[in-house]
Amino acid sequence: MAYRITTECNGCTACVRLCPTGAIAGERKALHAVNPSLCIECGACGRVCPQDAVQDAFGIACRRIPKLSLWPKPVVDAKICVSCRICIEGCPASCLAGRMDGGEKHEIAFLAEPKACISCGFCEADCPVEAIRLVVPEQPAVEVKQS
Amino acid sequence: MNRGYMGKILMVDLSRGEISEEVIPDNVYENYLSGLGLGAYILFNRIPAGADPLGPDNILGFLTGLLTGTGSFFSGRWMVAGKSPLTGCWGDANCGGNLSPAIKRCGYDGIFFKGISEKPVYLYVDSGRAELRDASSLWGKDAVETEETLLLEGGKGARVACIGQAGENRSLIAGICNDKGRLAARSGLGAVMGSKRLKALVVNGKRRIQPFNRHEIKRLSQSCNRWVQFQPPLFSGPALSRVGTLMRLLPTQMAQDGLLYKFFLKKWGTVSMNQVSIEIGDSPIKNWKGTNEDFGPGRSLTVNPDAITGREFVKYHCYGCPLGCGGKCSLPGQKGGETHKPEYETVLALGGLCMNEDADSIFHMNEMLNRAGMDTISAGGTVAFALECYEKGILTKDDTGGLELTWGNAPAILALVEKMIRREGIGDVLADGTKVAARRIGKGSEAFAMHVGGQEPAMHDGRNDPGFNVHYAVEATPGRHTIGAQLYYEMFQLWKEVKGIPRAKPLYSKDRKYLADHEKAVMAAACSKYMNVANGAGLCMFGLLMGVTRTPLFAWLNAATGWRKTPGQYLDIGARIQTLKQAFNIKHGVDPRSIRVSDRMLGKPALPAGANKGRTTDLEKVRGNYWDQFGWDPETGVPDPEALERLGIKT
Ligand code: SF4
Ligand code: SF4
Ligand code: SF4
Repeated sequence: MAYRITTECNGCTACVRLCPTGAIAGERKALHAVNPSLCIECGACGRVCPQDAVQDAFGIACRRIPKLSLWPKPVVDAKICVSCRICIEGCPASCLAGRMDGGEKHEIAFLAEPKACISCGFCEADCPVEAIRLVVPEQPAVEVKQS
Repeated sequence: MNRGYMGKILMVDLSRGEISEEVIPDNVYENYLSGLGLGAYILFNRIPAGADPLGPDNILGFLTGLLTGTGSFFSGRWMVAGKSPLTGCWGDANCGGNLSPAIKRCGYDGIFFKGISEKPVYLYVDSGRAELRDASSLWGKDAVETEETLLLEGGKGARVACIGQAGENRSLIAGICNDKGRLAARSGLGAVMGSKRLKALVVNGKRRIQPFNRHEIKRLSQSCNRWVQFQPPLFSGPALSRVGTLMRLLPTQMAQDGLLYKFFLKKWGTVSMNQVSIEIGDSPIKNWKGTNEDFGPGRSLTVNPDAITGREFVKYHCYGCPLGCGGKCSLPGQKGGETHKPEYETVLALGGLCMNEDADSIFHMNEMLNRAGMDTISAGGTVAFALECYEKGILTKDDTGGLELTWGNAPAILALVEKMIRREGIGDVLADGTKVAARRIGKGSEAFAMHVGGQEPAMHDGRNDPGFNVHYAVEATPGRHTIGAQLYYEMFQLWKEVKGIPRAKPLYSKDRKYLADHEKAVMAAACSKYMNVANGAGLCMFGLLMGVTRTPLFAWLNAATGWRKTPGQYLDIGARIQTLKQAFNIKHGVDPRSIRVSDRMLGKPALPAGANKGRTTDLEKVRGNYWDQFGWDPETGVPDPEALERLGIKT
């Protein structure tokens, strides 16, 4: 099972830069294709594609999340995390790490490189004790003009 | 179909520089699981009979567990297998850290190497490519330096396994290192890697590992985790030794629940046992000729659990482990220096076994040996042998290059270890373990060389728990301590899930342990089978010690694969793997009867004092019965062709 790129693709290369396994190939301004043997169904291509040209493994069109700041990010509940590193070693973007949190000597998982996160949700799906939730980061307050 | 395993292996021919992928049929996994089971299947069929372990025909396999990456806890062990240059038998070793999921995420359950490269190389693998790269500039570097360099070259998320100088020098007690100082230490497989001029393996896979039913695995993991997190407050480290003393003084033995051991492991790690083991007679002292009385709680106080963890600044968890028995410690007297928390085995092999009570020296030797990639158990055993040779006048100051090798002389012991790593002078004589050293030295020194089939045993005395001696002698990897013992049998609690397996008596007279009755063989066989399943799954033994109902190995396997096998059927798989490894040894000309446990370890003559006073093991009888449990010839230990055919093993 793998994602697929339809002929709507205009070759902008946004997905190529994001795909963590290098599964997408294509020349600039030409139709791109997903190598099914490398695709891990993280969905990053679908979230970034401005042409809505990506279909998931079930043939359903992916929805773009236009602003990167709206992509959901993992939040770890330090009280539940048992430091097993399953999320850290399973993250295709290698953006999680462990750090000491409070008095305990055990390292708790945290999102070390938020910019690198592709919002795949694997960490949330894989954490055996459900310590991770993907949430849309709080948006910076927008200035509202006083009338 | 999602079955938890990747269904492929990578075969690298170093002589030709060729790399090829192979698809492994599902029925191989059903018969042998992944991990060491898959390794045994490949190596049995492909290493030609009589192959030189350090020659091009030997195959070295890096293997991951079937459960690795599926969401089951304790499933982060990676394993390495090959023909052992130390014993000439089937060789394997395993280690934790973060390597295993990284291998698997490249898309392979195992990566195998054959042939010999012309120049030093390392293999780089990611999700879509594999290539051999030049490692000339890394040759001569220690394992930590090598890993640091390769992590930079390998890119974000890369994981590394490599050898240090010991492996390069083909020291027969060399292991393979990952995570900057953790060692797959046993069987001398680092020397095999060195002989192939393979400096390292760098893996950077990003694939997804898909179990059949992740939801069910999580449910099982959560119930396992509740046991792991259940932790009552414990007394101080030094007070723990009193528990050992008490256990020694009691005439009866209580069946032990591994949950208790888990409490200790979680708080201190394996070093929790440092003093207890000496007190109960589990830990050999003074090259196996001393007793707990020679190294009492006063002397071992320097290595009490609190003293070791006093240096620990962060706990270390292997991948997939909620327990975290490991730690990183500061190095005494070295600003900024750090080392993995020395394990129990290390502390006792370089401590009590050599009568060395200088904890600082143990920390330093731990780091030196980890960096060089040399097994601390074998190194300590060999040093102890040298000390006894010196005591007996077989080795003199002239032989040792001026070192005064008296018992407990920490600076001399440290200097000797350094020489062994560099293969310098007397170090060159000792760098291949006690058996080879005794052959080189002669003069009757063989009597002081404590080994089983060439491998130094771990710090677990069969005169205290005869089960250790049984497994030292019967396993396809002689001298192995992580498979079975009477203690492990009690902790595994297999009778709760498998029919026809004897339940451990809650309280029994200590003398019972030494009865070479039929039940001991049944227990030992059950341990071997169970651990074969665990090594196929990639599980850590410390998780298993909590008991089969709390660490649900069989249920995890069914949830990962979608199989519906009963615990009994899994043990049958374990038996098949054990038989295959035995057949491997027979194929390579090993006579199972020739695997000898050194007399002293058997209690011949028996110790005159201490915890194990007067104890001996009747190995022969249990061994024959053990072989019989697998349907092998009880006289010779050879699996007859019919038994092999029944298991579908072609010879
Ligand atoms: S969602 Fe989680 S697993 Fe996916 S990229 Fe972000 S941190 Fe990594
Ligand atoms: S998988 Fe869950 S429990 Fe394990 S380290 Fe990550 S957040 Fe913590
Ligand atoms: S119990 Fe210790 S050795 Fe085992 S997996 Fe956990 S940290 Fe690693």
